[in-house]
Amino acid sequence: MQRGKGMKFVGDSRVPANRKPNIPKDYSEYPGKTEAFYPDFLLKEWMVGAVFLIGFLCLVVVEPPPLERIADPTDTSYIPLPDWYFLFLYQLLKYSYASGPYNVIGALIIPGLAFTALLLAPFLDRGPERHPKKRPFAIGFMLLAVAGIFYLTWEAAAHHDWEASKQQGAIRETADIDKEDPAYQILEANGCLSCHGANLEGASGPPLVGTELSVEEIKDISVNGIGNMPADIFQGTEEELQRMAEFIKKIEK
Amino acid sequence: MLNKIYNWIDERLDITPLWRDVADHEVPEHVNPAHHFSAFVYCFGGLTFFVVVIQILSGMFLAMYYVPDIERAWDSVYYLQNQVAYGQIVRGMHHWGASIVIVMMFLHTLRVFFQGAYKKPRELNWIVGVLIFFVMLALGLTGYLLPWDMKALNATKVTLDIVESTPLIGGMLKTLLSGDEYIVGAETLTRFFAIHVFFLPAALLGLIGLHFLMIRKQGISGPL
Amino acid sequence: MSEEQKQQVTRRQFLTYTLMGVGGFMAASTVMPMLRMAFDPVLEAKAGGDFIATKIKVDELTDEPVRVDFQFEQEDGWYVSNVTQTAWVYKNENGEIIALSPVCKHLGCNVDWNSNDNYPNMFFCPCHKGLYEKDGTNVPGTPPRGPLDRYKYEVRDGVLYLSRRAEPTGGV
Repeated sequence: MQRGKGMKFVGDSRVPANRKPNIPKDYSEYPGKTEAFYPDFLLKEWMVGAVFLIGFLCLVVVEPPPLERIADPTDTSYIPLPDWYFLFLYQLLKYSYASGPYNVIGALIIPGLAFTALLLAPFLDRGPERHPKKRPFAIGFMLLAVAGIFYLTWEAAAHHDWEASKQQGAIRETADIDKEDPAYQILEANGCLSCHGANLEGASGPPLVGTELSVEEIKDISVNGIGNMPADIFQGTEEELQRMAEFIKKIEK
Repeated sequence: MLNKIYNWIDERLDITPLWRDVADHEVPEHVNPAHHFSAFVYCFGGLTFFVVVIQILSGMFLAMYYVPDIERAWDSVYYLQNQVAYGQIVRGMHHWGASIVIVMMFLHTLRVFFQGAYKKPRELNWIVGVLIFFVMLALGLTGYLLPWDMKALNATKVTLDIVESTPLIGGMLKTLLSGDEYIVGAETLTRFFAIHVFFLPAALLGLIGLHFLMIRKQGISGPL
Repeated sequence: MSEEQKQQVTRRQFLTYTLMGVGGFMAASTVMPMLRMAFDPVLEAKAGGDFIATKIKVDELTDEPVRVDFQFEQEDGWYVSNVTQTAWVYKNENGEIIALSPVCKHLGCNVDWNSNDNYPNMFFCPCHKGLYEKDGTNVPGTPPRGPLDRYKYEVRDGVLYLSRRAEPTGGV
């Protein structure tokens, strides 16, 4: 490029007056099998991108984004779970030497060391060799870390009760419930509401709104229990039982 | 017409060399999937960027319907997902994109690591890359709270507990993030919103800019 | 070979066109759903104008405009609220009911009936002294650009029902 004396500029600017022609380099100027970035290589990248995008959009269309019910700070029975890419950290905190009095180790020291090592990798792995076979320590540590992350994520996912959390998080139908109804007071007196929620929307127990059970089945469950619900919770009379079951049956979504 | 406009601008600003330099640079054989199929590993970085673009766009559009307020946040998300045409698709892009971007970045990081591509003279670019990784994780963390549903609130409580366990400054740090010493609520949501929508994306764009500048300057690392 | 010469599409041009095509596909399939979402309020079918009951009995109406407030539940996306609309209602000489919006057609202030001593029996806007005749026609030479909007009305069991929104009369 020409510099210094004799250079002409556009007006009083620093833009040179003799312009570079807007002509792409000739293909013959690319040595060997190298390629021009535009349009040759970019086209290949974009084709990969397009295939990726189709896959991504399929995922988006097939799998709607989850939305649980609105956050309820008073509901303490909910088992929290972070997004999947934090699961390994979450799992780490469950181990005895990474929790309790050692919490700092699990929460800060181990992740801190790992991330610092990652950040400073070029200064820890300083040799001139690039091939993985010639960098046994760097590669070994990384493989160990990746295996650890996979293992911890797997453990966390395997030990989580996905069904329960799905139920805990499900958006609950709210029904208009007549709390003045004597049957509602029967429910209250027998402690049904503490598990099934004050609006029968469900809490630690399932919702009773819009149940598909028959009146007889409801009566049976109330007396004999089902699943985690123990028997003999209901302590009222037969007449009250009938009334309560009919009340539950008629609550619509 | 377009040519005239281009010439007019080029005469004044000399923009041709700026982009011709990018357009004409030589792409070496070993990163070209057309020559070696295994070179697809070089695509992860570009795909990460592609998803980032999708995230930024979908996030901008989601912000048209979202309110960062504990009483209305969930309703607005529910509304945009169920009442607005294609709201579910756009939220889906943002939701799944957040996961995919982590996957792509993870693969990209591993590719660079196993090839030793971070060695001299590319140390700085590696550091910037890891910082991008942190920013992405933080974006995922703060974005997780915004729909204000059960998992959002409870996961954030756990996160804040972890932050609190930092020695000495833990309590302060937690209060700084949540806006209140005890409550994870209204002030937490607005803080996380601001961090997710303004602070972190600004940092991310800056870091990505640096990342690309350094790649242009240094070129891609040679074959093994 | 001669065919190639005729078409004159170089390799570079072909690649560029393909690139534009692939790029266009990627841009369109990411941005289209987002634009559709943004345009949803524009494309949404207009909710049919149901009529809201007012507290006014039709018999009570005279040829003197009265201020009528009526309320309805307004759904604004995820936000539901009660809003109050106002109308100036009277019967004209043919016995037809006229329900005028109080929103000035100049810049949206609220007009008032017979409120200014200088302009008796007219709608007067205090912001920029806009004036309207009793039937809502704007007085030429004052700021408003058109007559006041009108509500549609219905009479059911002697009670006046008004539409939720007033609509322009279009040069009455």
